[in-house]
Amino acid sequence: MKWKHVITVFKKEVKDIIRDKRTIITSIVAPMIIMPILLVLVGGGEAKLTKDINENVTIALTQNSNTSEIRSLVKDKIIANNKNIKLVEVSDPVEAIRQEKVRAVLDFEKDYAVKLKERVPFIIKVMYDKSKTKSDASFSIIQDAIRNFDADVVKQRIVDLKQNPEILTPTTVEENNVADKKQSGNMMLMMILPMLLGVLIAAGGIPAATDLVAGEKERNTFEPLLITKPSRLSLLLGKYLTVTLFSLVSVVSTIAGLVIGFLANPNSVSAGMGSQAGGFYMEPAALLLAIFTTILLGMTFAGIQIALSTYAKSFKEAQTYLSLLIFVVMIPAYATMFMQPADIQSYMFLLPVLNTIAAFKMVLGGVINYTNLILALASSILYVIASIVFAAWMFTKEKVLFRS
Amino acid sequence: MLKVKNLSKVFKEITAVDNVSFDVGTGEIFGLLGENGAGKTTTLRTIATMLKASTGTAEVYGIDVNSQPEKVREHIGILFGGEAGLYDRLTVAENIAYFAELYDMDKKSIKDRISQLSKIFGMDEYIDRKAGKLSKGMKQKAAFARAIVHNPDVMLFDEPTSGLDVSAIRDVHDFIEKCKKEGKTIVLSSHIMSEVEKLCDRIGIIHKGKLLDVGTIDEFKKKYRQDSLEEIFIQLVGDKQ
Repeated sequence: MKWKHVITVFKKEVKDIIRDKRTIITSIVAPMIIMPILLVLVGGGEAKLTKDINENVTIALTQNSNTSEIRSLVKDKIIANNKNIKLVEVSDPVEAIRQEKVRAVLDFEKDYAVKLKERVPFIIKVMYDKSKTKSDASFSIIQDAIRNFDADVVKQRIVDLKQNPEILTPTTVEENNVADKKQSGNMMLMMILPMLLGVLIAAGGIPAATDLVAGEKERNTFEPLLITKPSRLSLLLGKYLTVTLFSLVSVVSTIAGLVIGFLANPNSVSAGMGSQAGGFYMEPAALLLAIFTTILLGMTFAGIQIALSTYAKSFKEAQTYLSLLIFVVMIPAYATMFMQPADIQSYMFLLPVLNTIAAFKMVLGGVINYTNLILALASSILYVIASIVFAAWMFTKEKVLFRS
Repeated sequence: MLKVKNLSKVFKEITAVDNVSFDVGTGEIFGLLGENGAGKTTTLRTIATMLKASTGTAEVYGIDVNSQPEKVREHIGILFGGEAGLYDRLTVAENIAYFAELYDMDKKSIKDRISQLSKIFGMDEYIDRKAGKLSKGMKQKAAFARAIVHNPDVMLFDEPTSGLDVSAIRDVHDFIEKCKKEGKTIVLSSHIMSEVEKLCDRIGIIHKGKLLDVGTIDEFKKKYRQDSLEEIFIQLVGDKQ
């Protein structure tokens, strides 16, 4: 094997792929455009929905409860402190919930006034539709309003008994989050980024891998290449490095797209994480180790992809095999999505894909264990070697090369 | 020169090439004549080290194809008929330069060789055009140029005129004759009788992997008492059906 030949093949393949508009659009341009659009749309849509849920809580009363006394009670006592809840009039309250004209309907117990006066609990039935997002989310807002009303009534009763209302609250809980603010800010990224990296690195090299062997077979350029001077290992390594490069480029362009999307709509990444999101901090040395592990994962996939593309008789056959590879990655990626760094077991740093996900979760979570990170790196090196050996075995096997 | 010695190639249960032996001298065109599937391409692929011989061997200028395949490839140029097998997104010059680099030629030699080949094949007009935009004839000329960019001593042409128009076929024939004059060792595989008759010094008739007979056309005519190569071929192959 000669490195000069490897570099010649690599340079030619890169030039060839760069001139292929389809590959450039799908691997590089599209992620950089689609990701920001997706984030802005998803983030914007979610923010709009949350605002609507919180600010337009419409409620109605059942026919039996729709009396001037109950209306006054609801308006002046129950929802008085929450201006986002509005009492409206509807002819058929239950149907109105189903048609999303109101979020919930309150039904007061018949003799509620007597029970209230006699300090006996009475029932307020809250009817809502759990299958409707807005109605479901409004239930807790209405429940809170009723709880606040309860607290006010209790407070008044204590005062009436000439007691200090504070006797009901012997303790006060004060929240104090000791986590580094920078670490808490990585929560959302810790969930999404490792999973995304795993899937992207598996998918990124597919167009190049498909084109470089199966594509060459189909276009009849493969046989003339095989009878040139370089050894098959040199040809393979040139192609292998090209696939690795494009899988990494694809990841970088997608991450760049995410960053652009985040800058355009900062709330998009913190969706659902409230005030925890916002900061980005990663231990530089640990981050470097995690990045190396990711590159090694890309190299492992490149070897497998080249091997599968070599086995395939046609471009289409290669696409089928390589698409299946994404599903193999998606399983561990999704299974560990909600896993916290503390939950990661040491053996995970030895398994392919999982080791990269675990390493990144650790770095983003700020819980660094260098022994585990080095384990992830070392195991990744072994997988790279194994994948290259596998690809080389396939690439030099006559029965595989000339299956047709 | 090329020596093929008891060469066989077996794919699972099919014997594609069965104990084939022949020699081709310097400045000689040897025609491998046979029907589709007779074993011509497999023979050439094995000589070119693309396939490994099941038994037997071949020597290119004394270098064994089984033990030194990479060295053999330095001395061999092969051209397949049908699809030219060019990289469509590269220009003709880039296609040729890529192979030249793989044969370890330096930049200056590559530039000079491309310019020389461009003149030989009349490609000046489209040398910097992407291969995907060329006609079939133009592509085949470019493929020819690429196959011989390293100036090999032995040239293997596998159905080189397949699918070409009349004028392109004439260009290919002229080029093969020019190579012969330059002292190249040439093996031409074809099923076109007229082509073989026109170009080849000696012919080997191959059928179902076996080389049935080898000789000059005159020797064949005398031996089989037939006036045309077609009749000789049918007589030989018909006997073996």
